[in-house]
Amino acid sequence: MSWRTQVRAVLRICWFNGFLGLARSPLVLVALFLTPVSFLFFIYVLAPRSELPFGVVGGILFSCLFTGTGMMNDCAYLRLERQLQQVFISSPLRPISWVLGMALSQLVFTVPALVLFLTVLLLVTPVSALSFLALLGLIVLAWLLSASLGFLLSTFFRTLREIWPIGMIVFTSLSVIPPVFYPLAAVPADFRWVAFLAPSTFASQLAAHAVGLPVASVPSVPFLSSPAGLVVGLVGLTVLFIGVAMRFARWREP
Amino acid sequence: MDALRARSLSKVYDGRRGRVAALDHVDLDIRTGQLFGFLGRNGAGKTTFIKIASGLLIPTSGSVELFGVDVRTRVREVRERIAIVPQEGKPFYHLTPREHVEEYLLVRGASSETARDTTDRIVRAMGLTPYASTPAMFLSGGLQQRTLVAMVLASGAEFLFLDEPTLGMDPFARRQVWDVIRHAVRAGSTVLITTHYLDEAEQLTDELAVIEGGHVLYKGSAEALKSKVRREVRLHFDGGFSTQELTPFGEVYAERGGLTVMTTRSRVEELTRAALERRIAVTVGPVTLEEAFLTLVGRSIEEDEAEGGAT
Ligand SMILES: Nc1ncnc2c1ncn2[C@@H]1O[C@H](COP(=O)(O)OP(=O)(O)OP(=O)(O)O)[C@@H](O)[C@H]1O
Ligand SMILES: [Mg+2]
Repeated sequence: MSWRTQVRAVLRICWFNGFLGLARSPLVLVALFLTPVSFLFFIYVLAPRSELPFGVVGGILFSCLFTGTGMMNDCAYLRLERQLQQVFISSPLRPISWVLGMALSQLVFTVPALVLFLTVLLLVTPVSALSFLALLGLIVLAWLLSASLGFLLSTFFRTLREIWPIGMIVFTSLSVIPPVFYPLAAVPADFRWVAFLAPSTFASQLAAHAVGLPVASVPSVPFLSSPAGLVVGLVGLTVLFIGVAMRFARWREP
Repeated sequence: MDALRARSLSKVYDGRRGRVAALDHVDLDIRTGQLFGFLGRNGAGKTTFIKIASGLLIPTSGSVELFGVDVRTRVREVRERIAIVPQEGKPFYHLTPREHVEEYLLVRGASSETARDTTDRIVRAMGLTPYASTPAMFLSGGLQQRTLVAMVLASGAEFLFLDEPTLGMDPFARRQVWDVIRHAVRAGSTVLITTHYLDEAEQLTDELAVIEGGHVLYKGSAEALKSKVRREVRLHFDGGFSTQELTPFGEVYAERGGLTVMTTRSRVEELTRAALERRIAVTVGPVTLEEAFLTLVGRSIEEDEAEGGAT
């Protein structure tokens, strides 16, 4: 199959799994809105008004990272419970095209939440066109990173029962514990580097730079205080996650 | 040329209950264009074989080639030429039968026109027309299974792996599936099908293999299997005989409140005379494939048990 046919296949998967899936079970939307909107609500109620943009940016990143959970659940479900992954990859379709189609579907599920948060962001704080583009770039990176991780994990489950504890552990450490919904400045200066063990911290700090929110410095690793260092870090990690997923995802049962 | 060639294929699973040899040095050839049946008890190793041959499971040792291409090392080339109905696969919840077939064909690289025409044909042939626009979550189990089988058969792939494709289907639907499978074979596909419906195997397949405990016990035609077990006649007695009395004549099964014995043509007269003397009704008929299967596998189990007892 030529690469053009593969691209068409990716878009078809995104169409029937993503768009039609969303259109026919809109409950996905509610689920996706719920967590980031409730965090935003807490920040709105508890924090000073000036902290609100943090919450909004956090909501954007959280929604992107959530594609990883979605990817992990959906791919594991389609492989283990429906056996459809087997049906689809036992064909001229490349496995990578299947993964891309699934990842794009996750993005489709997330787009409504992203549109909402981006709109709110524009309402609460001025954002230049360049910053907006930078945010979109961040969204793509965060999506690729977490979708790769989600897919990789999905290939190791043997039953659906194993999914939720792993999902909780991995995605809580990715999106709730690190400074996604709160500023890095809240972490004592000497321990800020620890937050960078989670790739999401790179994304949240870059988002803060892009939107012009106050950014905390990382005294022990100065490299992590500059936007350039953060870009290198995030792009590097994204490439690494994609590479690891492509290399180690389990396509054949052992 | 052989479409499939397995050599000394073994699979050992490391399970909770220790190591399970699901396949034990299996050799098997399937010729191009054959409609090949796989029979065997639950846990015999049929699904394991299909998963390995389709590149979904890594064997412990041995090799499989599909159209001369090694499945282990060149799985990408193999995948381009196959399609599979996994055992107990299910369709997407939210898509209709029509969408399943059409989208699957498009994803496999068919042109929009071919996809549409083939979908029309398959949906009709599989009796799915009345349900063509109903999302699968509103369809009964058998209709969902038909949807899955329809999309895979529509592919017209060179090699079709069908693992219990007619599971849960009514007798009408099964016959529709048989027709579509036969159509695919006429169009050039090679088919490996597993089934627990012995009448299906008998009516559909050109050749079959019986697998038991990871070994191929038999390979050949259904007719030849019946003569191999050297039991041509089945006699059913509505009572009046004990199992011990009948065992010297052949394999005995309790059935419909009486006993059935599988025997050779030469012993029929003796048995019917005995029945008439005791004024007991007796029915005489040809041995079915199911009975030949039961006999063959039954003997193998007995041998295993005898060996197990001796050691
Ligand atoms: N993932 C696994 N882990 C451990 N053992 C397994 C696994 N899959 C199958 N087995 C074992 O391998 C053997 C063969 O199983 P297989 O699924 O191939 O049988 P089958 O002939 O398809 O049976 P059925 O008619 O029930 O579908 C069985 O003993 C089974 O318990
Ligand atoms: Mg099976």
